[in-house]
Amino acid sequence: MHTTHTPEAVATAAIECHGIRMSFGGIPVLKGISLVLEPGTVTALAGENGAGKSTLMKIASGQYKPDEGTVEVRSEHLHAGDIQAAHRLGVAIVPQELASIPEMTVYENLFVGRELRSPVGLLNRRAMMRQAREFLKPFGLEIDPAARMGSLPVGIRQIIEIVKATSRGAKVLLLDEPTSAIAEQEVERLYSVVRSLRDQGVAMLFTTHKMEEIRAMADRVIVLRDGNLVEDKPLDQLSDDDIVEAMIGRELEDMFPEIGVPKDEVALTVQDLVIGHGTEPVSFSVRRGEILGLAGLVGAGRTELMESIFGMRHPAAGSVAVGGRKVALGNPAAAIASKIALVPEDRKGAGAVLSMSVLDNASLPRIKSFSNAGWINNRKRSGSIGDIMKSMNLKSRGLGQSMETLSGGNQQKVVFGRWLTGPVDVLLLDEPTRGVDVGARSEIYRIIVDLAEQGMAVVMASSDMPEILSLSHRALVMRGLTVAGELSKTELLESSAQDKIFRLASGLEASTKKETENNDD
Amino acid sequence: MTTDRSTMLEPSPGGTATKDPTRRFSWQWLQGFAVRHAMVVVMLFVVAFFLYKSARFGTLENMTTILIAAAPFALIALGQTLVILTGGIDLSVGSVIAASAMAAAYVAKASDGNLLLTVLVAVLVGLAAGAINGFVVSRMNVPPFIATLGMLTLASGVAYVIGGGAPINGLPANFGAIANTEVLGLKIPVLLMILAIVGLAIIMKRTSYGMRVYAVGGNRLAAEIAGVKSKRVLFSVYTISGVLAGVSGLMLASRVISGAPNLGQGYELDAIAAVVIGGASLMGGRGTIWGTAIGLLLIQTLNNGLDLLIVPSYWQDVIKGVLIVLAVAIDVWAAKRRTS
Ligand SMILES: Nc1ncnc2c1ncn2[C@@H]1O[C@H](COP(=O)(O)OP(=O)(O)OP(=O)(O)O)[C@@H](O)[C@H]1O
Ligand SMILES: [Mg+2]
Repeated sequence: MHTTHTPEAVATAAIECHGIRMSFGGIPVLKGISLVLEPGTVTALAGENGAGKSTLMKIASGQYKPDEGTVEVRSEHLHAGDIQAAHRLGVAIVPQELASIPEMTVYENLFVGRELRSPVGLLNRRAMMRQAREFLKPFGLEIDPAARMGSLPVGIRQIIEIVKATSRGAKVLLLDEPTSAIAEQEVERLYSVVRSLRDQGVAMLFTTHKMEEIRAMADRVIVLRDGNLVEDKPLDQLSDDDIVEAMIGRELEDMFPEIGVPKDEVALTVQDLVIGHGTEPVSFSVRRGEILGLAGLVGAGRTELMESIFGMRHPAAGSVAVGGRKVALGNPAAAIASKIALVPEDRKGAGAVLSMSVLDNASLPRIKSFSNAGWINNRKRSGSIGDIMKSMNLKSRGLGQSMETLSGGNQQKVVFGRWLTGPVDVLLLDEPTRGVDVGARSEIYRIIVDLAEQGMAVVMASSDMPEILSLSHRALVMRGLTVAGELSKTELLESSAQDKIFRLASGLEASTKKETENNDD
Repeated sequence: MTTDRSTMLEPSPGGTATKDPTRRFSWQWLQGFAVRHAMVVVMLFVVAFFLYKSARFGTLENMTTILIAAAPFALIALGQTLVILTGGIDLSVGSVIAASAMAAAYVAKASDGNLLLTVLVAVLVGLAAGAINGFVVSRMNVPPFIATLGMLTLASGVAYVIGGGAPINGLPANFGAIANTEVLGLKIPVLLMILAIVGLAIIMKRTSYGMRVYAVGGNRLAAEIAGVKSKRVLFSVYTISGVLAGVSGLMLASRVISGAPNLGQGYELDAIAAVVIGGASLMGGRGTIWGTAIGLLLIQTLNNGLDLLIVPSYWQDVIKGVLIVLAVAIDVWAAKRRTS
């Protein structure tokens, strides 16, 4: 942007990586990557799931030691594999999987590692709280610094993580999928944070799978594919198609497939479900073959609604029925027996057992169907899981690879695909494409539409507006742990749909509850 | 432990707030207190039960007995709290007590009552054991359970080696002075216990060191990214735990003026129980020094009260086991109520 390419400017590069090579278990992940970030610039790091983006960031922030290559921060050599050194040199990272400390308060999270002390050496909690409030204010966060981090919505925690990094005077900020946990409406806040940091001269590198975000934030785009750097250009010299093509190495056809016509038979009936303390009851039904979108801001209750249907939390009142048969509430096993499946939002916490292999994770929900009298039939299991993972285009070193070493997007494919080994009538998807690359995303869309076509009723919570608009037959907008309104397919196709959803989600528009009830019978 | 994401988003309408804010002591206030301090309430019930059952329980003399019995045990429970806060565990403290007691007894006898040297050796034995634990856990990345299990066996072996397999008796009379001298009206072990509780409570709540211990236990990666030297923190908590065990061993040996190689056997389990009863999470990141203090007082009160009621010792174990699990179950239940 406003950097000049004189030799001096190059000499003052914020961070330089040279010839970075890295492999895991003999399999190369990065094959000689060099890049330079200059102060006051924002660079997007694009690439498919497993392309090595997070690995590169971990190397640049001193978490991993590369097999070959060097990292220099403002002309100082970064001793490999030393987080503290990176920290001292002003390199901060906000990792892909949240790195907050849930049991500690917001201000403790902000100040840990550089606590404020009174002259006697004791912690000065009051000063930390005051400063924390000041740090948060420019970012539009009016939260109590003494609130427990774990009690805040993920999106807010994400922004606090960024505040934490920058309030320490970081000159290089590495953001690994900063928007993956944030609702679309809240991404604006992140944009303005990034812009103001750029004006302060911070060099930023961020990864994302969304084109709008690259357009909104980046000055320059770097694309990784199969461990190689295949593109490095200013944003204005690249079209969206150029970027996608560089990422997946081929042209991408239509992102969203045609959605089919729902059948008449109702699959899921939710009646007067109360998911919060004294909140309005929620009622709706989903037909076979129908995809119901769930929109709303972070904390609106989409996850809570799904978890209530799936039995992970006990609703205060109401009932859930599949094909007219009541499902026992508060009991996931009963929900699974009633052919309900849930792909949760938080794959690290609820979706996967990270220490276990892909195979074990994928067969967990239906382990009984792969065993005889308690003995696991491994051939049957590997065959069936292998087929599904192949159809999902999973990138792994075989089914034995442990989940925690899989790239984020590929983890999502596993927790998604594992339900497809058995019969499902109701498929609950909570942010099904969070952190999933464009190529895989269009595959997942196609899978969702196929599954609906086969007769599943799909409920899909998403913060991705195009997903809601293009993929659902009908959408509910949630707010305050209840349904604030509903949009029909025709309404979803109108150009004002996005605006209407936003107004409902933020409470600017009054509830259209009546419509919901009419549609229920 | 899962965190409840629905909390905080919705203020619970009605319900918890007291109707009349000026009337502080209401039924609802009491309920709220009971839920917030479940363990204090359990403690009150236990104390009330023993007061009712035994005339001697409530005497000043008996209270002093409880405190004196609690002291050596308190020191290791406090060290254990720090270790557990980082998400680790120290199984070796019981054996370190034995090793330091034997070493102290040996030196006292050999030096003919050189108290300074005796104290120094006891502390050094604890320090060495703790530092080795800390090194193995933080630098060699051996899981704490295994590292300290190894130390448990090693230190116990050392204790037997020192005495040639037998206790060390016939110690100079001044050896007993360490635990039996009164300062400010309190026996030294009790004084040390109080100092350790207050000191560590301040350190954990009011210093950056304390905050870093919580951070490492709460999310080690996050702490490291924030610039916390997590290896140092881990090393330090095991070292502190070791030193406190060393001092504890000295106190126990001095109290009976002899060293026995089986001293402190099984203490680590009571210490872990005290920490967990105090509300700490074995996953790390959650727990307090005050909680541990309540936990260890609860266990000691049970020991003492059941003794007074002349309950046979095997039955005491049965009752204690049940009560420990029950107490934690109540606390977990109350914690759930607290967050919703
Ligand atoms: N610790 C590890 N051990 C073994 N393999 C690993 C490890 N970390 C990463 N990998 C592998 O390295 C490759 C690159 O992973 P990385 O996380 O960098 O991808 P990414 O580009 O960030 O993907 P995503 O967009 O899904 O986050 C993947 O194939 C992954 O399985
Ligand atoms: Mg990644």
